[in-house]
Order: sequence, then structure tokens, then C-alpha cells
Amino acid sequence: MRIAVLMKAVVEPESRIELDETGGVRRTNFRYGLNEYDLYAVEEAIRLAEASDAEVTVVSVGPEEAVQSLRKGLAMGATDAVFVPAEDFLGDAAASAEVLAATLRRLQPDLVLAGVESDDLGTSQVGVLVAERLGYTAVTMAIGVTLGDDGVLRVRRELEAGNFVDIDVRLPAVLTIQTGLNEPRYPSLKGIMAAKRKELVRLELSELGVDTERLVETVELSYPPPRERAHMLEGSADAVVGELVTLLREKEKVL
Amino acid sequence: MSREVWCIVEHRAGRVDPDSLQLFAAARKLDAAAVAVVCAADGAALIDQVAGHADRVISLNDPGLAEFTPDGYAQAIVPLAQERQPAAILTLHSHFLGRDLAPVLASRLGVGLISDCIDMEWSDGLLGRRLVYRRKLVATQRTTTPGPQLATCQRGAFVAAETVGTTAEVETIDAAIDAASIRWTVRGFDEAEVVAGDITEAEVIVAAGRGVGSEENLELVRALAKALGAALAASRPIVDQGWLPRGLQVGSSGKTVRPRLYLALGISGAIQHVVGMRDSDVIVAVNKDARAPIFEYADYGIVADLTEIVGPLTAAIKALRG
Repeated sequence: MRIAVLMKAVVEPESRIELDETGGVRRTNFRYGLNEYDLYAVEEAIRLAEASDAEVTVVSVGPEEAVQSLRKGLAMGATDAVFVPAEDFLGDAAASAEVLAATLRRLQPDLVLAGVESDDLGTSQVGVLVAERLGYTAVTMAIGVTLGDDGVLRVRRELEAGNFVDIDVRLPAVLTIQTGLNEPRYPSLKGIMAAKRKELVRLELSELGVDTERLVETVELSYPPPRERAHMLEGSADAVVGELVTLLREKEKVL
Repeated sequence: MSREVWCIVEHRAGRVDPDSLQLFAAARKLDAAAVAVVCAADGAALIDQVAGHADRVISLNDPGLAEFTPDGYAQAIVPLAQERQPAAILTLHSHFLGRDLAPVLASRLGVGLISDCIDMEWSDGLLGRRLVYRRKLVATQRTTTPGPQLATCQRGAFVAAETVGTTAEVETIDAAIDAASIRWTVRGFDEAEVVAGDITEAEVIVAAGRGVGSEENLELVRALAKALGAALAASRPIVDQGWLPRGLQVGSSGKTVRPRLYLALGISGAIQHVVGMRDSDVIVAVNKDARAPIFEYADYGIVADLTEIVGPLTAAIKALRG
């Protein structure tokens, strides 16, 4: 059995996000890092693989920095990695899904896991779009996953707080993995060393021969209207507490 | 108003998700008739919950629609949308319809999907606005595909449509679902987690976030909530740690609350949390990081480690209450 995990290099929160002269986002400011949501997917894949003797392939389409994310996946315990360098269509869920689906067709995984969304653009579409292209069944927001011997995947899907739905699907399937269902491991030194010897395959877009036409285009980028910042209370702890209580009692009348 | 926008209604156990009514408001922003689309085994009881708000109702009925499944809903909606070509199709961004259904509809209709819109307008097609790069920019997007324009709406971004006063015309259609093509088997719902006091009813909420740091500190927060007679709530990291039950989670995968006073302690203000509490009357935030986005939503802010503030605040409240 093979489990593939989709990993995305995302624009890190610390990156300076600003518009350039043309009204586009200044990409030279982008610093890429791992999409934290994906770590839960990698961890879940490794756990499932340990229980079922499967192989785990981590896959990424995107900027060169994605290789670092894939290396982390390998250090955590993935078997091998596939990287497709691509930057032009970043941000279009359908185009990303097209490339990922073409890549996965070569791997023929039984199960595909992905984070629930990406931290930078967050369309939360890609997992399901990939499933549709491959003809796999998709379930999003998985907070519990058990694989039966009968090829039935029992998925606990999160609804609003405290509520869950239990869904059975047959493999092959795509799941998007919600945070909190496991605790992603830190790669051990041994894992990091072993990762250096593991195979990381580069596939060029031209080899995949896919159509990366955008289905959604951004016609304008702008700064959100500035929000009025909170009235900041300053001073010693006792002073700010005193001021706060007075404000909440006398001005806001909520105490 | 000849344009029609289909608003797919989210419902469970016979109850319409009240946030679905926000979709009708979004449709009217597009200068379109808001058509509620209800998929169910028998939609009669659900129709009553939306008919006063929508301009028209399409009720798609089949035993195969008794539970939500992406295959069932898509089978009901896609052929009808292909035939009738509504100007747009909208769902909420969460739970089932935005995440599990909308991308399936996009694939099977062969159209683009604009996710998690906070605003929209019609200008030669649907223009959807969404926040990107952690809310640092607003992207105005349109699909490049002909046919129905597909978008999901962020919960709370549109104010739920008032009742229009008249009862909408209802069209009932036999959806004729092929049950064999449905790949999800819904085994059941677990809504058993009982939480003392529903946080959505609370007048005052004390909410703990990642900045709480330890279960020990959480006890300080709990003591403050007790002194205030407030409900205790949390952002996702605290719940993921297992320190508080999921029923107390505020945010996009938790509950939406609107108390008179919301105290956010050690909460950075990620959008996933903010969407669940931004409509509170008065918001007070305590956070170590002066740049934390929570201060953009708070009325009063204190930059401090919450352990320095919570103790004195609890004491002050106790003194006040005698």
C-alpha cells in the first residue's frame, strides 16, 4: 500500500506582504516555509503506514523551497519524495490540483492525505479537486482515521465544536487532515541523517504534460481597510487592571 | 431582477443552519433573486425555515439525500444547474457544503470556485473578495469559466437576510438519486459531548488561547471566569491540547458567540478564531505580543503576560462583587 501526502510551501507569516508599483504582491519579499497543517497529515500517514506496512511518499508542487518541507517529511519517516518545481500558477487551486493529480497518477497511491488548507491562500479546495480528478472519494476535516483490513477507511469528520460525523469510505481516497488528531513528531537526528539518503524525485511540468490554466483570476489586490486599534492600557499590572475595571463598569456598563 | 443565485442550504437533523440565511443576503448583493436550494429526503419541514427569507425555493427530494453526501448532493444539483444555468451558486465556506461539496460542484460543472468570500458584487460576472496572506491583503477574484459562478461565503461576513414577509414559491423536484453511486456511508453523528452551559448563551465569556501556556495557568483563567460569573471558552490550540472540551471552542470550527463582554487571554487573533467572536459587544485582549492581530478587533488591549493580569483582575472583580 502507498500513502501520498501533499505538502505545500507557503508564504511564511513573517514575510513582509506589500503591493508593488503594478498593483501585484511583491514576490521578492516572500519567504517560504512549511504549511503547518501539512505536518498533521504527514504524521497521520506515518502512523497509518507503521500499522499497515505501507510506504509514504511526500509530494509537493511549488517553489524550490518546498524541497525543505519534503526533507522534513522524509526526516519524520516518509519513504520517498516527489517535487514538481512550479511557480507561475501558484495560488490557483484548480491548476495546482491538475499538476498534483498528474503526479499522483504516476504514484498510484491508495490513500492521499493533505492538510485542511494552506496558511497563505487557504482556499481549502485542492484535496477535493485532486480526488475528483483521480476518481477517488474525498472527506475533508478528518479528526480521526482508522483503516480496516477490509479496505474500508473509517473517518471521523469534525463539524462545529464538539460535534462529529463518522463516515466510512473505500480506498482509494483523499482525506484532508484537521489539526489536533495527532501530535506531529520532531524528526530525530537519526531520521534527519536517514532522510539525506532517501530518494527525492524531481518531475518537470513538461514531463507531466498538464494544462495549468487558471480557473480563478485575481483582478485586484488591495490592503484591507485599517481597523481601529484597541484602546491600549499601559502601566503596572495593578494600574491597568484598575483602569480596565473602571472602563468596563462605568463606560461600557458590562460589569 | 431576472438573475438567479442558488443558495445551497446547510442543514442537519431537521434544522437549517441559521447562517445559511446569510447566503440570501449575499445573493441580493448580486442584484439577484435568492433561490434557496434544499436537498433532503423530504424537504417540507426545512422549507418552512427558509421560505420566509428566500425569494424562491427549489426542494430536491430523494431518499438518497437523507444524509449529506457529496455524491448525492452533486447528483441532485449538477444536472439541474447545467440545464437552468443560474448566474451563481453559493454555499457557506464551512461545514459540509463549502469544504466537501463546493469543490465537487466546481469539478463536475467544470468551473472555477472562489473560496471564503467576505464580500461580493456583480460586474460582468461575480466578483468575490477574500482575505489572503493572513489577512494582509484583499484579493478581488473572478472565475475565468463560463456557466454558473461558484463561490463560498465566510460565516458572519454577510448579515442574514431579514424575512421578506411573503412566502416564497416552492418548486419540488424528484431528484432521482442513484444510491449505488454514493461513496460515503454516514454511520452516525456524535453530538454527545455535554458541556456545562452553552457558551453561545453566555453574557460574559473568558476565553483562553495558546498564550496560556500551561494547565496551571488555565486554572487562573478558570478562577477569573468564576469570579465574573462568566463562561469559560477557548481557541483551538487549547482544545487540541485536550485541556478543554471541544464544545468550548470559539471560531470557524467551533461556535460563534456574541456576548456583552469577551475577554481574550493569550489569543493571537487568527482569523479562524476571530470569525467566532468579532461581533461581541466589548472585547478585551491580553497578549504578550503587541503586534498580535487580536488588538485590531479588541476595544481594550493590554500587552502583558496574562499571568501578570489575571490574578489582580480576579481580585479586583471579587472586591467589586463583595
